[in-house]
Formats: sequence, structure tokens, C-alpha cells
Amino acid sequence: MTLLERDPKSPLTWSGNLPVTSRYTFGLAGEKFFRAIKDEGKIIGSYCKKCDHTYVPASQFCEKCLAEVSDWVDVGTIGELHTFTVLYEGYDGARLVQPEIVAFISLGDGGLIHRLGEINLDEIYFGMPLEAVFLPEGQRQGSILDIRYFKPAG
Amino acid sequence: MNERVAIVGIGWSGYRSKSADLSYKELIYESAVKAYADAGVDPRKDIQSFVTVAEDFHEGTSIFDEYTPDQLGAALKPVHTITGDGLHGLATAYMLVKTGQFDIVAVEGHSKASNILTLPEVTAYAQDPILNRPLRFNTHFVAGLEMNRFLFETGTTQEQCAAVVQKNRRNALNNPKAPYGADLTLEDILSGPVLSWPLGKRDSAEHSDGAIVMVLASESTARHLNDKPIWILGMGWCNDSPSLESREWGELPYIQKAAQIAYRQAGFRNPQGIIDFAEIDDTYSYKELQSLEALGFCLPGEAGILTEDGATEVDGELPVNASGGSLGMGHMIDATGLARALEVVLQLRGEAGLYQLEDVNVGLAQSWRGIPTTSGAVAVLAN
Repeated sequence: MTLLERDPKSPLTWSGNLPVTSRYTFGLAGEKFFRAIKDEGKIIGSYCKKCDHTYVPASQFCEKCLAEVSDWVDVGTIGELHTFTVLYEGYDGARLVQPEIVAFISLGDGGLIHRLGEINLDEIYFGMPLEAVFLPEGQRQGSILDIRYFKPAG
Repeated sequence: MNERVAIVGIGWSGYRSKSADLSYKELIYESAVKAYADAGVDPRKDIQSFVTVAEDFHEGTSIFDEYTPDQLGAALKPVHTITGDGLHGLATAYMLVKTGQFDIVAVEGHSKASNILTLPEVTAYAQDPILNRPLRFNTHFVAGLEMNRFLFETGTTQEQCAAVVQKNRRNALNNPKAPYGADLTLEDILSGPVLSWPLGKRDSAEHSDGAIVMVLASESTARHLNDKPIWILGMGWCNDSPSLESREWGELPYIQKAAQIAYRQAGFRNPQGIIDFAEIDDTYSYKELQSLEALGFCLPGEAGILTEDGATEVDGELPVNASGGSLGMGHMIDATGLARALEVVLQLRGEAGLYQLEDVNVGLAQSWRGIPTTSGAVAVLAN
């Protein structure tokens, strides 16, 4: 089956790697969204009147009708659990000592991916209200990590 | 051009969990010469254009498309590499012939997955860099979220997903190309390590190395090249909004749309009773069920029950992944859809050996580009 007949235990290889560092621009809507998190502890979306659709995170345009969207709305910091998973592997593929609960939390007509905290697995249900827990104001930098996790609301 | 287009040559190398002896160029070369001999064409004289499918980060080489011509016999010929799944490559080659400008076109896809030493990080680099990647989750979380919502919405069970793994890995025992054949009990599968609950490690396909080349030709050329042309009746592909924040979690609207495009070209609306067998995405066990529903073979929630009842076994009403699928043959990264299409061609030619299905005339191949994407493609092929 193989083209080369030689000892498969001693193949010659070369290893290489590349440092990859890039800058990612938030853009107009992204900047509004992350400034609201950082400065006000708020989650904002953008509303397309024509499609009656609230984008969370806020978007500068409507992906349904492609109109520019300029109505910004505060959607609150409590959303609903749409789906969740318990992740047993880390970013590099290594087994996690402590598995993490990851969820998609519905907010407006969109939502956010985040980890869940202050929660037991057996109390989770689809549709349960979840509240964003923010870092203290002085520690927030304008990133998704300004939200530490979502926890059961109320 | 109204002429039909046929697949007139196929060649492959592999598939193996590791291919330490061969370079990717040698894997491709081996597949190419087999495909050209199969089609009875001289690549240097007869093939007019070439398509390859590859991702720079999977290859570990920037501008990787520059590295594709030589091993295919494509130097000083029109060549282009597309990013996407192998079925997107097949669609591109199909369109090239359909333009009427090229009579014979070759398409190539390969996997040297065993050489990607940091695949989890490479895949994670496909996550949204601002909204998702800072959370540093292993990208399998996307499949875990999707599977859980799919089970919730449709009432499908983890046992029904495990039945997919059991079927496909058993099917692979009859396929000499498949490195992951195994006879497992449902208990073996369900009691395995968890990957991203409810998704188990054994619900997730391992990778394999290999390469696939196909030669396509216009109808008039195909007729005198090959006595077993396999006709492309329809091809569709579709991309949903990629963001995790605005996609559907329980169903696959992009597979549904891709199928509708392919079915419309092939001249039917409902695949039931027309498609004899299918080779579809099973990167994860639940994807086979979710895809069967999106493809219109059954209603949401029925695919798991049909699988438990044996309807998708090799002797069932609609054999699905008789080859073993990606669970049995190994996931071929960018070449996965081409691997599915190759199995459809082998069945339609009657060359599938131990896992040959009886009386098959129309087959379907479907692919998904993998986490975290929302891209898929569908091909309808006939003998």
C-alpha cells in the first residue's frame, strides 16, 4: 500500500512553529457593546425595526435584511439558559481537573456564550433565568472577560 | 452547458491513523496516479484544470495552495485551492466542467491530521477572537451545546446517538480502508470518557491520514473514457451565519438548504424513495441523526428511533454510512466530504467489496465543515 519501503519506526521529520499575534478591531457596534459592559455593567443589543429582531451582542447591521441598525437597547443582565454542556477538555486538549459548565444564554434575540458559576449541575434546566456576574468596575477592561460568569438569577 | 457531468476516475491513499512513512505530497501522488489510471487519462495532456481543498493552518504552511500542483501533474495548468470541505471542492470541479470551457477536471483533498501537533489550539483559533476565544474553551464545547439542545428539542437520547457509533464502527470492520472498525456494545460507548457532556469521547470521530483524487468529465467525454461513469445529478452548499450568538442550536438549516438546492437540480423535492443510500456527516454521533432530519429523510426526532430500529443498517431501508463513516474511517479534516463522495461512487460502481449494497442506483453524500462552522454541502450521484 505504501510508496516507500523503509523502517516505519524511524521516519525523518522536521518540526516548525510560528508565533501568531493579531489585533482584532471591535468596530462601531463592538465598541458600544464592550464600553457598556466596562463603564456601566450593562449588556446592550441593537434593534432592527423592519425585522423586529434584537441583536445581542449589538451589531451595526441586520444580517436578515442587511439594513444598518442604529437603535441601541439595554437588554438587562438576566437571560435564559438556551443550552449547556459540561466540558472535560481544556484549550490545548488536556483533560481538565475541574470540568467547566459552558452555556449559551439567550438575551434579546441573540445571547452570549459563557461559563456558569455558583450553580450545581442538578439544578440546571432549559429556560432557567441566569444573571451576569461582572468584575468590579475598576477591574473591567472592555472584554467578554469583564463578565466573570452567569449564575442562577434571583 | 446542458451536458451532464460524470465522475470518471477515483483514487485514494489510506486511510490510516498515522502515515509516518509518506509525506503529504506522496499521499496525494499515490491517489492521483490511481485516479488517472482509473479514468484512463494522461494528466499532463488530458486534464485541463485542477481543484484542491486545503486550509493553511491544517497544513502548517502559509499560502499552501502554492504547494499543490507538482504532485498532481498540474504544473503549468490552471489550478486553484479552495477553503472548505472536500464536497465544496467537488462542487467547484463540477462547475468548471459545467462552464463548457474544460472537458476534464481533477479535484484533490487530503488529510495529514497526525502531523498537526496542536490541533485543539488550531481549531480554537477558528473561534470568534473577541467574543469567544478569550474564554479559552476547547472547541468541542460547540458540539456539546449543539448536541444537548438537539436532544432536548427532539427527544433523541444518548443511547440513540451511541447506536450510530455502534453501527458505523461495526460497518467499518468490512471496509479495508477503515482504521477504526470495532464491535462495541452500547454500554462500551456510553461508559467511555466524557468529552463535552452529553457528548462522549466515543461519540467523536478520531482522525485519519489519507488523500483522495477524483477526475470529472463532461458527458460526451465521459462516454468514451469510462464504462462506469457516475453522474452528478445535483450539488448544493450553504452557509449559515457563523456566529455562536445568532445560529440555530437544535437543527441544521444550512444542511436543509444545501439539500434543497441539490434536490432541485436533480429534479425531485423529497429524497424518500429516490435516494437508495447515503454517506453523511458523522463527525459526532448526533450529527448523523441531525443531518438525516435536515436532509428530509425523516422528521425531527425520528432519526434516533429509525437508527435503533435498524433502518440505517446496511440491510435497512436506507443504509447510512455503510463504509463506516468518519467514526469508522477516521475524520479526514478538509477531505472528509470527498471521502463520503468516494464511498458513494464505489457503491454505485458495485466496487465496495464486502460492504457492497444491493440494487443501488442513486446515492447521497453530505458533509459539514466541522466545529465551529455552519457550512455544509450535499451531492446527489447516480449510476
